[in-house]
Amino acid sequence: MGTPMRILEERTAGRVDTRPEAGRELAVSLKNCSLSFGKVQVLNNVSLDVYKNEFLSILGPSGCGKSTLLRLMLDLLKPSPGGEIVYADKEPSIGMVFQKPVLMPWLSAVQNIVLPLTLGTKKKLGKREAKEKAEDALKLVGLQDFRNHFPHQLSGGMQQRIAIARALAAEPTVLLMDEPFGALDEFTRERLNFELLRLWESPDNSLSSVVMVTHSIQESVIMSDRIIMMSPRPAGVEDVVDVPLQRPREVGMEELPAFHQTVKELRKRVKHQ
Amino acid sequence: MSEKLKTVLYPVAFALGFILLWELAVRIFDTPTYLLPAPSAIVGVVDGSLGGHMMVTLMEALVGFVLANILGFITAVIFVHSKPIEKGAFPLAIALKTTPLVALAPLLVVWMGTGYSSKVVASMLICFFPILVNSVKGLKAIEHEAWELFSTYKGTRWEIFWKLRLPTSLPYVLSALKISSSLAIVGAIVGEFVGANKGLGYVVLVSSYHMDTPVMFSAIIASALCGLMLFWTISLLEKKIIFWQRADDL
Repeated sequence: MGTPMRILEERTAGRVDTRPEAGRELAVSLKNCSLSFGKVQVLNNVSLDVYKNEFLSILGPSGCGKSTLLRLMLDLLKPSPGGEIVYADKEPSIGMVFQKPVLMPWLSAVQNIVLPLTLGTKKKLGKREAKEKAEDALKLVGLQDFRNHFPHQLSGGMQQRIAIARALAAEPTVLLMDEPFGALDEFTRERLNFELLRLWESPDNSLSSVVMVTHSIQESVIMSDRIIMMSPRPAGVEDVVDVPLQRPREVGMEELPAFHQTVKELRKRVKHQ
Repeated sequence: MSEKLKTVLYPVAFALGFILLWELAVRIFDTPTYLLPAPSAIVGVVDGSLGGHMMVTLMEALVGFVLANILGFITAVIFVHSKPIEKGAFPLAIALKTTPLVALAPLLVVWMGTGYSSKVVASMLICFFPILVNSVKGLKAIEHEAWELFSTYKGTRWEIFWKLRLPTSLPYVLSALKISSSLAIVGAIVGEFVGANKGLGYVVLVSSYHMDTPVMFSAIIASALCGLMLFWTISLLEKKIIFWQRADDL
């Protein structure tokens, strides 16, 4: 599995990879995580590692428990006894982007980004500082001109970019995304995919690991370094596939043989399930 | 002609046309005044005292309306935060709601006399249920993901209430206010029917004893105006407060 496609490396030779070669330093580790909702077992003994400086996709059919996995990592759900989630950092900073933007309709773009920065009993930021951070995050997603717009005045794609800015403003090292572009049209989705990659690659933010849940094979291949294939209910890790594409990822890489090969490989595995 | 002007002009034109037809019909068919007075006859009996009675009814209704909505919302907040209280007290609230106010009103007058308080309470009783039900619904209407967002960033219960539940409930609260704005007047007038010496309900009752139909009509129309004023005020507030829903409404 995951035989690296050398052809690609020749084609992209001379291009400098902006990411340091994966030092395989752990960021998060899920160990033997199982979970049941009542009698329905959702996760069956899932173990997986997320490394630093890694873009990881979790791929699987809808309703197979991928989102549940993210909720475990967010500590919104607890695994059954025996399972544990270990973060490399003592107080990890985690960002979350949902499938829907989940913006507060009564808050402006910038106020929506400020919101999570001012929550909690341990006030980390003053009002002014939070606002500055929010403005910076808006700039990252290119929406600084829409700072005072309200969600209902923005398109679906813009709303989701604000949701991404909101997640980035808190300076997470680990970013979790639950089908972040699943509700958007194909064009917007493709644009935002690359926008997200540029953000992740840029040194201007704290982002190290991204874990993205998706049910699109193409999306997972173009975006990630590794793909975790989930088996249907109860979900378990079926397979881990390395993506033999160079960084930085660019528009047009979908034409490369390596891309097609990986997509084909993944398709085959889906059929075998 | 602009759309805005049309929305004002058309209803006014229709109302004027209706009044004109009414006036003509009464004159042509020569209907006795005690059955159907002409609009001109109704206008003829309007004097300063009607305004005074109108103010009395409006005040009773308004005080009842405000108190009921504050109490109802607080009760809803308690219900939302305590399952046992909600489960235990909701049937009581429904029982209160299903008891006809007309049946309760005499009791209220026995307890509180013929003054303001019995009418205020009657008005409260009728306004309480809409705000309670809608607020409970609204406070619970938060998106699950929004709750997860607040939890992810360690939002406290208090923050979840102020920054999430409360604003989420506002559209529900305002639609309850709209419903009860007209009910509040009903409550006050029912209270006045049972025992009062002022207010529109009192005027309607006394004029019916004397078969003074024009006065009765003037009081009925005045009570309708009270309800309309309250309703329009709330509608205006609604547009200002939940501005983010305006786009959907249009």
